[in-house]
Amino acid sequence: MEFVKKNITLLVGMSIPILMILFVAGSIYLPGLFIQPKFNFLYVSGADSYYSKYQYSVQNGKLVRSEIQRLENQIYQPPREVKLYIYDVAKNESKEISFEEAQNLNLDSSIISPDGFEIVYGSRGEGFFPFFFLSERDYNTLYLKGHNVSKKLNLQLSGSYYNYYNYYDNFRFIGWIK
Amino acid sequence: MVTKEEVLQYIRTLAEQKIITKDELIEAYDSGSGIKQDIFLIKKVGVAEILYYIGGAIIFLGILILVWQNWSTLGFGTKVLVTLGSGIAAYFVGLLFSRDERTETAGSVFYFISALVTPIGLWVVFDNAGFDASSYGSQSLISGIMLVTYLLSLFVFRKNVFTLFSILFGTWFFFSLTSWMVGGAPYFNYWKFYMYRVLVAGAAYILMGYAFSKNERAPLSEFLYTAGMLGFLGAAFALGEWKPNQNVFWELIYPGLVFGALFLSVHIKSKAFLTVGTIFLMAYILKITSEYFSTGLGWPLALVIAGLAMIGVGYMSFSIKKEYIDTKQHR
Repeated sequence: MEFVKKNITLLVGMSIPILMILFVAGSIYLPGLFIQPKFNFLYVSGADSYYSKYQYSVQNGKLVRSEIQRLENQIYQPPREVKLYIYDVAKNESKEISFEEAQNLNLDSSIISPDGFEIVYGSRGEGFFPFFFLSERDYNTLYLKGHNVSKKLNLQLSGSYYNYYNYYDNFRFIGWIK
Repeated sequence: MVTKEEVLQYIRTLAEQKIITKDELIEAYDSGSGIKQDIFLIKKVGVAEILYYIGGAIIFLGILILVWQNWSTLGFGTKVLVTLGSGIAAYFVGLLFSRDERTETAGSVFYFISALVTPIGLWVVFDNAGFDASSYGSQSLISGIMLVTYLLSLFVFRKNVFTLFSILFGTWFFFSLTSWMVGGAPYFNYWKFYMYRVLVAGAAYILMGYAFSKNERAPLSEFLYTAGMLGFLGAAFALGEWKPNQNVFWELIYPGLVFGALFLSVHIKSKAFLTVGTIFLMAYILKITSEYFSTGLGWPLALVIAGLAMIGVGYMSFSIKKEYIDTKQHR
């Protein structure tokens, strides 16, 4: 007690950063304990646009695919393999699904889910002490964000095309599963 | 057996009769309490000391360039030997040199070399182990290891130089750990988050400086006050942002913080508080003038008013220093 009384200023000075660390930890982890997203979603991986055979979309709440028309007498790269996945928000994992199975799902293609969540890219902070404030969009990480909670997604992507630069093309949200 | 009150009364009498000085008293206290005052931050820096530190910086640069230029040709063992090995060796050379008063300054330089080179050695080890050594997670580990090392050194050897390194590596650990915890979470505004951390680190530095001002680590106080005030007032100033995105809370509270610093400069007799407080008061006057008065009054008139206000602030600062800080320090 005598030590605390004698060194109160030093102890307060040292505890301010520790309290901030605890506050940051609390603000990140605590809200996630009470607010959980409920709706799983369907996504496509493997760049279903220029290089693939089909393009996927939602019409009247159902998944449809349309063949990508190519001009004759033009040389194209062979079509890429495109895969459909369901993301289970409770288990935080992806599961591959066939087009035929996915056609049976009721989908909502709105950006924001019925329970108020959306999928966003994270930021990438870079730098070395004492310059930690540089940040930019990080195409390697996606989050489920809503109600002041963000949850990092553990997405499974089509392996053959996955690399640092084409992550943006490698994930496309299709719809929330109702 | 004399009582504590009797001793203190006797010291008062000796001080009144100018028989004993404050320095002699502190020296006697330190020798009795087992605290060895090291010369770090106490001894006046002369040409020889500057040359010592320049030499230390050149050694550090030499090691850095050696590893960088030969990164692909040097083996892991050699890289570790050159960086981590040099850092550990410099630490022990510092320990040996600081045992003798004649080589104590050179000892401090070797501690500096060790503090600069050892984290690079740890970086090499982490990089070889397959970690992304520049990531926030690895930076947290490296700064954490350095912090623990210097806290233990401080506990064992009780030297100011280890207090300073503990604070610096503790700050690095605080920043990298919080960055690692936040990661890429989209709810965090990185710039504001950085400024709040600078604010907190600044407040911690000021409080530690005040705590040290009353014990054997007093030489660190002015450094901590300066760094702390720069961080605290600088971050509060930046959080006020700029019109039209200004933050009214920080813009309104800011004069209170600056005048609080100026008031405290008298109370704790700190030139750092006065100087940094004056600089930021001037910066605030310029900011507010350009934000709110440049369009109504016009830039030329606004500049004249801001200039007059800054002359007034400068005069006030000079008067405070002359009246309250310099005189009280000489009493």
